[in-house]
This record gives sequence, structure tokens and C-alpha cells, in this order.
Amino acid sequence: MSAPGLQGLRPWIIQRITAVYLAIFIIYFALSAPSMGTMTAGEWRAWAGSPVNTISLGLFLIATLWHAWIGVRDVILDYFPNVVARLFVLALVAAVLLGSLLWGLKALLLML
Amino acid sequence: MAGSDSRPFFLNLIKIRLPVPGVVSIFHRISGVFLFIAIPWFVYLLELSLKSDEGFEQVTRLLNQTFSKLLLIVILLSLIHHLFAGIRFLLTDFDIGLDKQQSKNTAWLVIILGIISFVLIMFGVCS
Repeated sequence: MSAPGLQGLRPWIIQRITAVYLAIFIIYFALSAPSMGTMTAGEWRAWAGSPVNTISLGLFLIATLWHAWIGVRDVILDYFPNVVARLFVLALVAAVLLGSLLWGLKALLLML
Repeated sequence: MAGSDSRPFFLNLIKIRLPVPGVVSIFHRISGVFLFIAIPWFVYLLELSLKSDEGFEQVTRLLNQTFSKLLLIVILLSLIHHLFAGIRFLLTDFDIGLDKQQSKNTAWLVIILGIISFVLIMFGVCS
């Protein structure tokens, strides 16, 4: 925040780094997770419970939420010129994302 | 602002003929918002499916409902478009595909690859 000209650069870069991870994980998930129609609870838990997959899922969760925050924030800044409305919607989105983070972490902690 | 009065100024969305790259761009945004809305639902399903065998069964039953299937289709379409359009935007960050014709071609490519992937995935799921 010390360099006014650079304020938008950090989220811009984070948006792109998380995008690359999200793309890689989605392809990995599609190829390696048990297929949705036929899998059993045990197979699913075994997949999500292997250390590499638990960690990749955790990173995916964080990357998704961060990516979504930056993206939705950009959309809100475009369509809510009224400062009060803008802050309200931003806070709402932040609450949804932070809630999802806590609930998602709870899901992954079940794997430990 | 001299001479700018003759600009076509209308926000009638039906009258605006958006070029293909513009269509890809606005759907990237719309699909992004859809995917954001899907996040809490997916996190809820993830937690439920990992919690217990009963939870997993509950998720299976939930996802077998017609309404859930419709939602999943919308989310799948959004994800596919967001992914391909996103890759296209990342390439433009590296100055790839910037001239007008190329940008038109890659926009069409995003749409066509999206449709093909969607059809293939639906085939895979239904067969």
C-alpha cells in the first residue's frame, strides 16, 4: 500500500497464480479421483485422505476462495458505485467466503 | 467532449452487437459469479461426503435429484467456459493472440472447445 501506483498489481498477480493452480488441480482431480457415478464412500475417503490429496485439496480451497474474492470484488467495484451498497455487498461476499473457508477446513481436518 | 454528442449512446443490451471476444469476456464474468455462488454448496457437499457413510449417502441422494442435476449442469458449463476463457486471458497477458483476427479466432476456439468438452463429459457421465 506504500506505492499508490502498484495497488492493483498484487491482486492481479494473485488472480493469475491461483488461476494456474486451479486449472492444474481441476485436471488432476478429473483424472485421478474415483469416478462420480460408481464410487463408494470408502473409495472417496481414501482418495481425499491420502496426504498429497488432502494438501492439494486444502490448497485448492484456499486458491479458489482467494481467486473468487478478487474476481467478485472486481465485479462489485464495477456495478456498485454507491459506497455504502458496495461495502455491504463486499462484506457479504467476504462473509460467505470466510464461512466456506472454515467449513472446508473442517471437512479436511476430518481426514487427519 | 466536443463532437462527442454523435456517439451512439444506448445501453439497450439487445441492440449492442457484441463481437465474439466480447461475448467470451462477459460470459467469463457471468460464469465466475455462478461459480462463486456454487462455492458454499460444494464446500457443504464436501464436508458432508467426508464426514460419514450416512453423509456420503445423503450427498448421493441429493445429487440424484433433478434440481441438483440442473445446477450441476450450469456449474459444469460455467467451469468449462471459465477455464478455457481464463487460459485465453492468461495467454493475452503474455501478448499471445492480440491482433484482431487472432483474438476473434481464439474466442471462437474457447466456445467450440467448451461445447466439445461439455458434450464429452455429459457422454461420459451418462454412459
